Amino acid sequence: MRLSCLQENLSRGLALVSRAVATRTTLPITHHVLMETDQSRLKLSATNLELAITTWVGAKVEQEGALTIPARLLTDFINSLPSEQVNMELTPRPLGIRFQCARFEAHINGTDAQEFPPIPTVEEGVTARIDPQVLRTAISRVVFAAATEETRPVLTGIKLEISGQQFTLAGADGFRLAVYKGPLLDLAPEDAEAIVPARTLSELQRLLVDQDEPVELVITPSKSQILVHLKGVEIVSQLIQGTFPNYAQLIPQSSGTRAVVDLQEFSRAARAASIFARDGGGIVRLQIIPGGDGTSGKMVITSSAEETGDNLGEIDAKIDGDEAKIAFSSRYLTDVLSIMERGEVALETTTPSSPGVVKPVGNEDYVHVIMPMFVQW
Amino acid sequence: MPSHNWRYILHADLDAFYASVEQLDNPQYRGRPLVVGGHPEQRGVVAAASYEARKYGVRSAMPMRTALRLCPELVRVSPRFDRYHELSRLIMDIFLELTPLVEPLSFDEAYLDISTEAPWEKVAKIAIDLKARVKDKTGLVVSIGGGSSKTVAKVSSQLSKPDGLLLVKPGDEQAFLAPLEVGILSGVGPKTAEVLQGHQIRTVGDLSACNPVWLQQTFGKRGPELKERAMGIDHGNVTPHRETKSISAEETMPQDVGEEADLVRRVEQLAIGVASRLQKSGLAGKTVTIKLRLADFTTLTRQKTLPAPTSDANVIAPVASDLLRRELLPQRRFRLVGVGVSGFQGPKQLPLFPQL
Repeated sequence: MRLSCLQENLSRGLALVSRAVATRTTLPITHHVLMETDQSRLKLSATNLELAITTWVGAKVEQEGALTIPARLLTDFINSLPSEQVNMELTPRPLGIRFQCARFEAHINGTDAQEFPPIPTVEEGVTARIDPQVLRTAISRVVFAAATEETRPVLTGIKLEISGQQFTLAGADGFRLAVYKGPLLDLAPEDAEAIVPARTLSELQRLLVDQDEPVELVITPSKSQILVHLKGVEIVSQLIQGTFPNYAQLIPQSSGTRAVVDLQEFSRAARAASIFARDGGGIVRLQIIPGGDGTSGKMVITSSAEETGDNLGEIDAKIDGDEAKIAFSSRYLTDVLSIMERGEVALETTTPSSPGVVKPVGNEDYVHVIMPMFVQW
Repeated sequence: MPSHNWRYILHADLDAFYASVEQLDNPQYRGRPLVVGGHPEQRGVVAAASYEARKYGVRSAMPMRTALRLCPELVRVSPRFDRYHELSRLIMDIFLELTPLVEPLSFDEAYLDISTEAPWEKVAKIAIDLKARVKDKTGLVVSIGGGSSKTVAKVSSQLSKPDGLLLVKPGDEQAFLAPLEVGILSGVGPKTAEVLQGHQIRTVGDLSACNPVWLQQTFGKRGPELKERAMGIDHGNVTPHRETKSISAEETMPQDVGEEADLVRRVEQLAIGVASRLQKSGLAGKTVTIKLRLADFTTLTRQKTLPAPTSDANVIAPVASDLLRRELLPQRRFRLVGVGVSGFQGPKQLPLFPQL
């Protein structure tokens, strides 16, 4: 294997795939990057066995070949080079690659490419095309709600549903649920669903930042893998097996009180309350007080910590329904408010112990359900 | 039989609380003059004095140096507030077994509203039992005063000390208070007492006979209140400050009832009321309790613990009715039924998927 490419292209490619390099593993080869010539390009792949990322770097290939190189070492070294041409040549003994760039030279030991875990190929399946920025928004709205602990593996994933002209992403841990619905670019050939690891979607979200071409998702017929095609990047991820809870029934269809508030004001008050909540069990209390004749309604957000002190923030609210109160974990409240777009948001509640619903006003694409904290008022 | 206007309040006050705790925990101090308070070199003051120390004229708030001069063999110990707090909780819990209407005033005193617990004939027994239970469970001595108002209850407990019990019969308030010095009323401090004495008002009776206009001019808003208090009138309710530990409702029936259907219907109604109050407070409890008072005033409580906390009348009512049915006997008639839910949990994140 002998080839050359530009330092900055190689550096960018390594940055992309290194997100899939295993961090903790008993299989040392997954700390490596697979480098392989692919026609007139250098193909870089990394996998942690759950997620694989592949990208291509334009190169001048003089001799074909493949090898795996420790990812961290390679990335750090390439990043330290000047932005000039990097020449690479496989050395048989000791097995490795010799690098040369400007007046730098290095030799890095590698491992035979045959030992690298095979990157699954997806030949067929249900295909959906989505606008990259729509998908990025969708992921940002749901991915944080997924469980991080492994006690219920399905909840560490995001449920993806494809149906007709619409896709749905839903994430839930034991205490909150986020559901986003967005448009597909084409009519889906058939309905499909899968549970995608939240980590995969977090990486995808990162990769989508500078994408402008439609993203293609392919779910394998066996529902074991999902392939995501981006411009110059391919992601293959294992899917989580199991049954995702029927989340639709957890979204309240009616409410006793609906308060519409400005997102920025609500966020500020929630953040202020969360400072005191830190020492007070992480609880913020919301009181929704309808206006009287000529006075507008308001939402009062309070928190207290026995040792530290307490706080109260008041914001204007347009209220339908009765006076209401509800307490939330401050993190759950600030989490959802921080990912919504500016404008008005609605908080819908019924009783202090039934789910609270946060949604944007004038847009049906997003629903966020938070289970309250049970507190004494 | 208790009427709707019947009201009886106890004022329970531990005798020389801090000092007694020290004598309780340190047997070598028993029977000796002891004070709890700061070091004399650091200008400490007496926080509490045992009755043995009081004989020497030692009083709380007195500088420690003065106390030691009055009683050279005085034992001084530094306060251990954690321990006092712990015992205080224990004692308040004993009070709460008697009635949920307990208003703690400090570590060592509280008002208890026992209006719904007993008619006048039973008050003495309740108070004696309460003293015995506190002594039994903590080794400490509590003095109890009782009356139809907080004022009368508090005055009588002060007069009864130490190890006292003084219960003023409703209707006797004025006669009881009249000969006492005005200073004994709460709200009459040394300054107020001095002003009153300057006008030859020395006893509570003198104060109750005062011209209300003059009182208002002299003491402002407080004036009329002082007169009312002196007459033994005081509408202040016993208001528990504590965290709600249980929510309950009870009903004294116009006539004693023994019939199952009637009792079940009342229990169900009470359960609905309790459930609605639970929901309004955002509470759910695991324990359902019924309270039954028989025609002869014997009071029974029966409870059942549920697998999960509830605030749902459809869960509470059947459990309460079941508990009731087990207590029905052919000749048994009830004068009171009550339903309560307790066993609340602290702040708790509710789950999204209760079934998982």
